[in-house]
Amino acid sequence: MSESNRDVDVRQDLALIARWKEGDQRAATEIVERHAQALARFAATHAVRENVDELVQDTFVRAFNSIESFRADSSLRTWLFTILKRLVLDRQRAERRSRNRVELEEDHAVQEFDALDGMVADETMLRVRQAVERLSPMQREVFTLRVTEGMAYSDIAKVVDSTEGACRVHYHNAMRAVKEHLSDD
Amino acid sequence: MTDCPDGMMRDLLPEYARGVLGAPDALRVAAHLATCAECRAELVLLGRVHDSLSLGVPPVDVASIVRALPAAPRRSARPAAFAWKHWHWQYAAAAAALVMVAGGGMMWRGAPDGAATRLADSSHVRAAVRPESTPPSPASAHADEGISFGGGLSDLSVEDLQTLLGQMSSIKALPSTDPESMTPVIATNEGGKTL
Repeated sequence: MSESNRDVDVRQDLALIARWKEGDQRAATEIVERHAQALARFAATHAVRENVDELVQDTFVRAFNSIESFRADSSLRTWLFTILKRLVLDRQRAERRSRNRVELEEDHAVQEFDALDGMVADETMLRVRQAVERLSPMQREVFTLRVTEGMAYSDIAKVVDSTEGACRVHYHNAMRAVKEHLSDD
Repeated sequence: MTDCPDGMMRDLLPEYARGVLGAPDALRVAAHLATCAECRAELVLLGRVHDSLSLGVPPVDVASIVRALPAAPRRSARPAAFAWKHWHWQYAAAAAALVMVAGGGMMWRGAPDGAATRLADSSHVRAAVRPESTPPSPASAHADEGISFGGGLSDLSVEDLQTLLGQMSSIKALPSTDPESMTPVIATNEGGKTL
């Protein structure tokens, strides 16, 4: 049976964690290098681009502080995504409680996407981006993890707290919606 | 844009695009792509979605993240020879078991005779080991206090062992545990009727 690249990645992550536990701080740098940009992409899908760095950093700090609780029943990357997702939800709840300005946040998000749209020079890319933005939050999350990271449905299910089958359905519905949006124009 | 009817193959396209598939699956998808225009179009779309979602994501400052991380645990100061490896625990467990067995044997030697005879009638053993004519050796004298699990053949003197071997040859075979054959006898009267 051949080993997939995903399996190789999982094995390398476990080896790095073991090295870090043995006192090798360079292993931590390697772990961050391997996963930080993927976490940043995921954070950006939640319209939190202005503090992506902070979110990614907090994710790693929390992960390393509780590395003993990492059971390796999922990949390290999936575990990191799960931590980041919880941080995003915690912050969204805290913001709602403290400022009670849901409408303002939506305005802010729209402005942010508008600014990004200006950066997208290619017309096709702009339409693709708009198509993704129209998806429901769950569809967008599943679709993004599948397309940008090539994540397995089983891992996506852990991150979004759903089932593998539901994630498969969300992905295919999202793909159909994106295709329809593109063919409408 | 139409969809390829091969749902399983379409399902593999995102992983193929990101290069995370194993070699056999990747080869299967590549062979399918060579003949399927719908999947080729979907693969192009997946690439565009990936690029558009990655656009504008700031590069992460790895160094600042690493600085914020907790320090790696310090290496153990103990020399490797004293580190408790897996097999050290096994040796320790075996030693503990031996101590318990030896301790149990010593306790048994000190137990009252009644306790010894609850498990086995040791008089036959003692008789076999020490015939009447042979004076008791220190070991066999000790055995009179009860069966010893802590000792063994090494506690017996050469004379005791020779006597034991001699008596073993004279021991008759044990009776068979098979049931004896039995012919049922049915009493009848003169007319042949069963009584």
